[in-house]
Amino acid sequence: MNEVFDRSPSLDDLLPGPERESACGHLATLIDADMALLDAAGGVVWGALEPNAVRVPLVVELEPIGHLAAAVAVAKLQAAAAILREILLTRYRFLMTSRLHVESIAADYADLLEQHAALQASEARYKDLSAELEQRVATQVKLLDERQRQLYQAENLASLGRLAAGVAHEINNPIGYVRSNLASFANYLQRFAALKARLTDTAAAWQELDIDFLLRDGTELVAESIAGIDRVARIVGDLKGFSNVDRAEEEVVDLNDNLKQVVSVLQGQLPTGVSIDAEYGELPGVLCLPGHLNQVFVNVVRNAMQAIADSNRPGTVSIRTRPVDAGVEVSVSDTGVGMTPDQRERAFDPFYTTRDVGQGTGLGLTVARDIAHAHGGRIDIDSRFGFGTTVTMFLPT
Amino acid sequence: MPELDGARLTFKLVYYGPAKSGKTTNLMRLHDLVAPQLKGELMTLDTQGDRTLFFDLLPMGFVAPSGLLIKFRVFTVPGQVAHDGTRKAVLSRADGVVFVADSQITEETNNAESFRNLSDNCARVGLDFDRLPLVVQFNKRDLSPILAEDEVRQRWTGVSWPLTFATALSGTGVAETVTLLLRALFRKFDQELELSSHHGIDEAAFVAGILP
Repeated sequence: MNEVFDRSPSLDDLLPGPERESACGHLATLIDADMALLDAAGGVVWGALEPNAVRVPLVVELEPIGHLAAAVAVAKLQAAAAILREILLTRYRFLMTSRLHVESIAADYADLLEQHAALQASEARYKDLSAELEQRVATQVKLLDERQRQLYQAENLASLGRLAAGVAHEINNPIGYVRSNLASFANYLQRFAALKARLTDTAAAWQELDIDFLLRDGTELVAESIAGIDRVARIVGDLKGFSNVDRAEEEVVDLNDNLKQVVSVLQGQLPTGVSIDAEYGELPGVLCLPGHLNQVFVNVVRNAMQAIADSNRPGTVSIRTRPVDAGVEVSVSDTGVGMTPDQRERAFDPFYTTRDVGQGTGLGLTVARDIAHAHGGRIDIDSRFGFGTTVTMFLPT
Repeated sequence: MPELDGARLTFKLVYYGPAKSGKTTNLMRLHDLVAPQLKGELMTLDTQGDRTLFFDLLPMGFVAPSGLLIKFRVFTVPGQVAHDGTRKAVLSRADGVVFVADSQITEETNNAESFRNLSDNCARVGLDFDRLPLVVQFNKRDLSPILAEDEVRQRWTGVSWPLTFATALSGTGVAETVTLLLRALFRKFDQELELSSHHGIDEAAFVAGILP
């Protein structure tokens, strides 16, 4: 360890060998006599002590740290001692400052080490925190994922519910008149039964029971009922094809057929003043999950219907299909409210909706895009606020 | 712990306090005012303007009836916050401390910070702050605005350190401050160093050695 800066100085500290040699040599020359330098204990450390020499003390702080001795006039020796003392003082200051400097650097260094240790501890704490944070984010993301899937499922169920309502409405109509027709027909058959009892006056009875009308109207009723039953059968068939969402097998389909099913299903839910105009181009087969694509088409077409309903004016949803390079393109345009640039920007964001709480899930387009991407396709939106929106989907063959 | 080296006993005293509170001025006046048997020159080690960069040193001493030379080496520390390493090194091995506070109300924060720094540094250099002979001097009483003495005393009620009020520039209170420190020093070390029992110095003689 270094010397402490505030140690009381000794002659050896302040005038080490080489300096002593040089300083004393010059001083002896100046006083022009044999001179001796004595340490605090009186021992000669330089020169030769003359028997009749006078002594002058060398005081740096309070006590003499040595003496100069020579056989000369005291005043002369005192002058020499004064010069030597200045040298000693200078050296003393230098020693104290340099040692203090070393000590203060050591103190500063110790401080730095302390700070460094504190920083390391703090860094470790932040590392732990960050690890914990990462884990919490992962947990939250997982939770959000689950919630989103649940919402998606709920949306699916809601779609199915609306679908069922539309189907019920559609089926009720033909069922209604088939039921009414059959009741009429049962009535007609009773009249035929009455005819048997009156076969004696055939012509009069024929006339009276209006059998001509029964034959005519009966034929009509049966034809109408057959048409009604056919319509029910078609709707049920559409529904069957449509509701195969969970069938996870890919197949090659003509997307026009899917769109026709979707249109037929949604026809029952058309708001007043909204019509659908479909133009199907001839399409190559597309390898896909038809149920999933139906979901996409339903979401997009229903959005279009709602956009028109929101505009409070009559309008048309135009569906167009056409073959394009390496795939097919399906576009759905409406003449509804359109989107602002900000709405357009966020349209695909999960849970983003412009509808009231409980009205929209904000997942329709998100899911549509996910499904389109899963098929290697694209979905794009072009919209003018106040004029309408066109959603264009591309699916590769 | 004072350094006992043969027939010489050396105490190290330190003037501590915020920058420009008058530590060096205290030492300069002390040099002029006291008339001990032995008094060295006031050594000022490098200053920048009137600010101490390293320290000042004033050696003084007297010889006890037993022949023991009792030496006091009085240091000042640099007050500026940046020189904490130097301050710590100068404070090391101190036997007694005078804390020089600036009485001006605007300096209250600096005083408090410096006092806390003294307490922290004592711990760092291994001094027992609670048992350290310490005198708190409120300097610059000639300036305003300052708190009245009564108010200062009231604020410091309950502390064990003696308080003094000084105007070091004119010398007022400088000797009183040293007297209080010497008394505290004597009481702490009398028994241990056999000052009265062996060397024939009582408390009054201990003070009189420096302030006859």
